[in-house]
Amino acid sequence: MIYFLQTLVGGLGMGAVYALVAMGFSIVYRTMGLVNFAHADVVMIGAFLAATLFVTMHLPFVVAITLAVLLTAVIGLGMERILRPLESKDLNLMLIGTIGFGIMLQSVAIVIWGSFGIAVPTPIPNVPIDVGGVIVTTYQLFVLAVAGIVMLLLYLFLDRTKLGTAMQAAAMDRSAATAMGVNVSTSNAVAFAIGSAIAAVAGALVGPLLYVNPTLGVYVGIKGFAAAILGGFGSIPGAIVGGLIFGLIEAFAAGPLSAYSELLTFVVFALAMMVRQTGIFGERTVDRA
Amino acid sequence: MQMARLRILAGLTIAALVAFACGGTTGTGAIASPSAAATASPTPDPIRVTLIGSFTGQNADLGNWMWNGVKLAVDEANAAGGVNGRKIDLIKYDDQGQPTIATDLAQRAISEKTVMVYGANLSTLSLAMIPILTAAKIPQITSGQAPALLQQNSPYIFIDSTTSVVFDQTLAKYVLNTMKLNSIAMISNNGTYGKGEHDSFLAELTKAGVTPTADKVIAPDVKDFTAVLTEIRGTNPKVLFIGAEEVQSGLIAKQARSLGISATFVGAAPIGTPTFVQTAGVDVAEGSVMTSPYLSNDTNAKTKAFAAAYQKAFNSEAEFHGAKAYDGMSIFIQAMKKTSDLSGPKLIEAVRSITYEGLLGQFKYDEVGLGLHATQIGILKAGKIVAQ
Repeated sequence: MIYFLQTLVGGLGMGAVYALVAMGFSIVYRTMGLVNFAHADVVMIGAFLAATLFVTMHLPFVVAITLAVLLTAVIGLGMERILRPLESKDLNLMLIGTIGFGIMLQSVAIVIWGSFGIAVPTPIPNVPIDVGGVIVTTYQLFVLAVAGIVMLLLYLFLDRTKLGTAMQAAAMDRSAATAMGVNVSTSNAVAFAIGSAIAAVAGALVGPLLYVNPTLGVYVGIKGFAAAILGGFGSIPGAIVGGLIFGLIEAFAAGPLSAYSELLTFVVFALAMMVRQTGIFGERTVDRA
Repeated sequence: MQMARLRILAGLTIAALVAFACGGTTGTGAIASPSAAATASPTPDPIRVTLIGSFTGQNADLGNWMWNGVKLAVDEANAAGGVNGRKIDLIKYDDQGQPTIATDLAQRAISEKTVMVYGANLSTLSLAMIPILTAAKIPQITSGQAPALLQQNSPYIFIDSTTSVVFDQTLAKYVLNTMKLNSIAMISNNGTYGKGEHDSFLAELTKAGVTPTADKVIAPDVKDFTAVLTEIRGTNPKVLFIGAEEVQSGLIAKQARSLGISATFVGAAPIGTPTFVQTAGVDVAEGSVMTSPYLSNDTNAKTKAFAAAYQKAFNSEAEFHGAKAYDGMSIFIQAMKKTSDLSGPKLIEAVRSITYEGLLGQFKYDEVGLGLHATQIGILKAGKIVAQ
C-alpha cells in the first residue's frame, strides 16, 4: 500500500510537468489548429534560462522563474511573427516551420550553454515529509502548487477575459470571428506567447528534478505531446488529465519492469489510444480541419 | 477531424525524419584536412590518429575529458619532435553517443588510413566498433571499461584503465571488510557499463556469501526513480551500490536522499566526478565511497605535473578520464617510437612489449587488452575525493 501511494506521489510530480507541457501544445493547437513542434525545445530554452538566472546569476528561484517565463514568452511571440507569413499560405508549411525553429533553438542552446548541461540544485530546502510512511518532498508540493496556479490562471484567462473569449471564437470559426472584429493574428500571437510561457514554467520546474541539457526537450516534450494526445489534443482539461495520467502510467510502469519502463509506458499509451482514438476529452472545442 | 489527425501524423513523421537526417549530418560534421601535398613534400607524412567520442548529448563530459587527455599527450609528443621525425595528426569525430554513428565513423577512419583509433568513451559504442576495426587490423584503445570489451577475442582492442571487475573487487572488499557492512542494496542500469558494474559487484558479494537486500535494474534513459527507490527504501539498506553513468548516478543519489534513504552511496569512477557531485548536490554526495585508479591530481609528482599541464592547456581541472586517456595515448606513442612499421599487427606487438609507469599506475597489456590491474578507494568530503 505504501509502495502504491509512494509511486502515486512520484507520478503526480512528473505528471504535473507533463500536464504543463501538454497545455502549451494544446493552447496553440486549439487556437490555430497547428501542432507546434518547436514546443519541446521551448521547454528546454525555458529550463536553461531559469537555470542560468538561478544557478549562475544567483537570483532567487521565484525571480528566475518569472524572468525566464517573460523571456520565453517573447521568444514565442518572435516565433509566431517569423512564421506568420506561412500561416496565410498553408498551415502545413507553418508546421514544418516550427520543426525548423525547434532545431534552431537546440543549436542556439548548444552555442550559448554548450552540450554539458547544468545541474540545478533544489531551490527550496528539500525536506522529506513523512505522511504515514509515504515520503512527500517540499519541492514536489511546490511543483504541484505552481502547476495548479498556472492551470487556474489559464482557465480564468480563456473563460473570463475578452481576449480569451475572442481567441476561442477565432479558434472555432476564423472568418466569422474576423467579421466580428477579432484580430486573428493577435489571437495567434497571444496563443504562442502563452504556450511558450507555460513551457518555461514546465522547464524551470523540471530543472531541479532532472538535469538541464540541450536534449531535455526531447525527453519531456515527447511525453508532454503524448499526454496532450491522451487527454484529447486541443483540450485544456484534457491536457491536465492526460499529463497526470501519463505521469502515473510512467511511475507505475517503472516498478515491475523497471529496465523497460519507457517501452511499457508507450505500449500502455498506444493501447489507450486504440480504445479511445480522440483521447479522453475528445476534440470538443476545436473543429477547424 | 480526420485531416487534423493526418496532419499530426505527417508532422510526426517529418519530425522523425528531420531529427534523423540532422543526426547524420552533424555526426560526420568534422572535415578532415586534406593531406598536405603528398607529392614532393619535404617533411615526412604525418601519422593519422583518429579519436571517436561523444561531444554532444548527456555523455559529452566523458568525450571532452578523453579528448583533452589524448590531445595533451599528442601535443607534447609533437612539440618534442614527433614520432621518429613524423608529426602525429590527431582528428576528432563526434559519435553523439550513438552506436550507428560510431560504426560509421570507424569505417571513415579506416578509409582515411588511420594508424589507430582512440575511442569511444562509452563501452557500448566501443563494442560496436570492434568487429570493423579488428577486420581492418586497426588497433583500438577505448575509455570504456566494461568486461565485455575484453571478451571479444580480438588482439586489437585495448582499454585505457581497467574493467569493472577490478574496480568492483576492490570496492566490494572495502565495503565488506573495512566498512564491515553487509546490508547492501543495488541499483544499476542495463546499458553495457551499468550491466558490467552490476555483474561484477554482485559476483563479489556472492563470493563473500552476501545477498543484496534489493537488486534493481533501470533503463539508461530514465530520470525518475521513485518506484524502484521506494522498493529499495523498504529493505532499509546501510549501503546503496550505484552502477550508472555520472548524471544518472547523481540523480539516483539526489532522489534517494529526498525519499529518506540514508544509506551510504558506493560505486566506481562516476561517483567521484564533479558531474556526479553537482547533479546530486555536495550535501547528498558527502561520504560517498568510490573507487578509481586515479583519485586526485595530488597523488604524486607525475600527477601534479600532468594536472599543471592540463590546466595550462585547457583552463580546467584535470581528472580521472583525462588522466587515463593521457596514459593510453602515451603508451601508444611510445609503441610507435619503438616500431618502425606502424601497421596494426606490429603496433599491437609493440604496445604489449612495453611496461609503462603512468598516472594511474603500472601498465602491462595482456593478450585480451587489459593493462592496469589495481584501483584505489576514495571518500567524498565537501565535494572532493579524499584517498583512503
